[in-house]
Amino acid sequence: MNFIESVKVAINAIWVNKMRSLLTMLGIIIGISSVIAVVAIGQGSQSAIGKEFEQFGVNRAFMSTNWQETPTDRDYFTHGDVDAIKEAFSDRLAAISPSLQDSGKIVSKKELQNISLNGVNEIYNKIETIEMMDGRFLMEGDMKAKREVVVIDEKTALEVFGRTNVLGERILVQMRYRNLSLVIVGLYKTPKVPFSNVANFEQPSNIYIPLTTMEKILGIGDRVYGIELNLEKDTNVQDTLKEIVKLVERRHGNVGKNKYRTYTAEGELEMVNKITGIMTGVIGAIAAISLFVGGIGVMNIMLVSVTERTREIGIRKAIGARHKDILMQFLVEAVIISVIGGIIGTVLGIGFSLLISMFIKIPPGVSISTIMIAWLFSAGVGIFFGIYPANKAAKLDPIEALRYE
Amino acid sequence: MIRIDSLTKIYDTGSIQVEALKKINLEIGKGEFVAIMGPSGSGKSTLMNVLGCLDRPSGGLYRLDGEKIEELNDVQLAAIRNKKIGFVFQSFNLLPRMSALKNVELPMMYAGISPKIRTERAEAALERVGLGDRMHHRSNELSGGQRQRVAIARSLVNDPAIILADEPTGNLDTKSGNEIMGIFQQLNEEGSTVILVTHEAEIAAYAKRIVAFRDGEIVEDRLVEERIVIVSES
Repeated sequence: MNFIESVKVAINAIWVNKMRSLLTMLGIIIGISSVIAVVAIGQGSQSAIGKEFEQFGVNRAFMSTNWQETPTDRDYFTHGDVDAIKEAFSDRLAAISPSLQDSGKIVSKKELQNISLNGVNEIYNKIETIEMMDGRFLMEGDMKAKREVVVIDEKTALEVFGRTNVLGERILVQMRYRNLSLVIVGLYKTPKVPFSNVANFEQPSNIYIPLTTMEKILGIGDRVYGIELNLEKDTNVQDTLKEIVKLVERRHGNVGKNKYRTYTAEGELEMVNKITGIMTGVIGAIAAISLFVGGIGVMNIMLVSVTERTREIGIRKAIGARHKDILMQFLVEAVIISVIGGIIGTVLGIGFSLLISMFIKIPPGVSISTIMIAWLFSAGVGIFFGIYPANKAAKLDPIEALRYE
Repeated sequence: MIRIDSLTKIYDTGSIQVEALKKINLEIGKGEFVAIMGPSGSGKSTLMNVLGCLDRPSGGLYRLDGEKIEELNDVQLAAIRNKKIGFVFQSFNLLPRMSALKNVELPMMYAGISPKIRTERAEAALERVGLGDRMHHRSNELSGGQRQRVAIARSLVNDPAIILADEPTGNLDTKSGNEIMGIFQQLNEEGSTVILVTHEAEIAAYAKRIVAFRDGEIVEDRLVEERIVIVSES
């Protein structure tokens, strides 16, 4: 008996016992669908997070003083440090900008809007992706003249003015100690933040003003709180940052004192990936256990089936079925049950993940490889849990089997 | 066709050994119609199992169509059962939920014959036992007599050296039983070697030769004098 005959016989046996076959498949269906759904959601959120970081910039880094080491006056970055870094690493730096942040409230028609006020230089748009819709980004002239100009995002414009043709308009920003009246020179597209829908929190919009203007407002001397960096492509970000820190440490005479911290998109991404990876792994393991239980269900039913069909096995042996024919017949049956369960499970799993993604607004990451692995795994479950019952069937003594009532 | 020399079969039940066959010598030629008779426990079923290659002898020689059966392994025995022996059982032993045609095709499936030829040969075999119009009925939709005809058709399809029938009329009424015996006689007339195992003298009377068993030994081996002959209608 060849393989195709075995498949035909097995499909017939499955079809004859429709209800039982379906119940047997249920374990596999639940197992596979949960594995697929979990992995799809896991991979989907990983790629969503990845995209977010890509938007942030893969080669981007941020440096600040380490507040845990209680920095003293002589530890803070200076503009001299920024220039020195710019000079020493000119071959590896795409852009560098000191940054100064403060929070404020924009006075709009209805209510006060929380915003994040960023003092940056004119090349900051080479560090962060800022997609201009109208007007221009900050210019060198703005920096030199410490102009009170601002680049705002589309969302803020709509909230404050209800329209987007707002160049030349003034906005009023309330800060802790004083109020500012800023002229809008540019409008940029509000970036999409993937998880904003899930967590349901409103991140305040970023608006950009010249660093020098910000320093003047806050009354800061030659002190830089944070440095934003963008490195050239294919640069080793971590190593370069270490060198930069060393340079700064030498300039401040605090080598090895751990006074500075660096943050990279890469590092953060790795951490987030690690966490989502662990979560996917844990939930996936639970799903795999359910698949294992499903496999035991297959074995259980196949054992019942062998007992029930003892006489059939006897008849088949009497008319010439060999050990391997019977083995193949029952093994193929177990594998087919598992694989059909796997296919139904895959469809349901994709369905579940689409359903879940509708709520958390993350596109599921169903890959062909996941599906292939799930099917191979279900076939493997069928073989693993089918081999014992099949072997039991194949080893039956024909005389005993024929006598079985 | 069949030669058995000092064949023994001992069942070892642990504490006691039961000698079911005691050094049997028997020869059955091609084209014979032999009834193996005896009460239950006489050893006739054991002989049937050994002749049918379902069981191995404990000692002695068994030649079937030139094959040294006692030397074969399980796979080879399966092939012998498939090609050289056609079984007909008391309880028909058809696969339920399968059509008569598919049941008859089954031995050819294990013989590795292509589906097309299988169907042709199965149809011919069913025609031969008078079931040409019932081929696509499932076996559990047929009467006892019809089922036994299907079983006979199944035993024939691989053109076996011997047809082994174990109480083939045991589950049938007299009329169907007689019809079945008529089919065996017809097959025998056409050249098949038929070995019939029965405990009923009336049934044995359809055969040409009777081998009687008691306590694991042959007590009688004679030709049938008053043979019942069914004249084939077809």
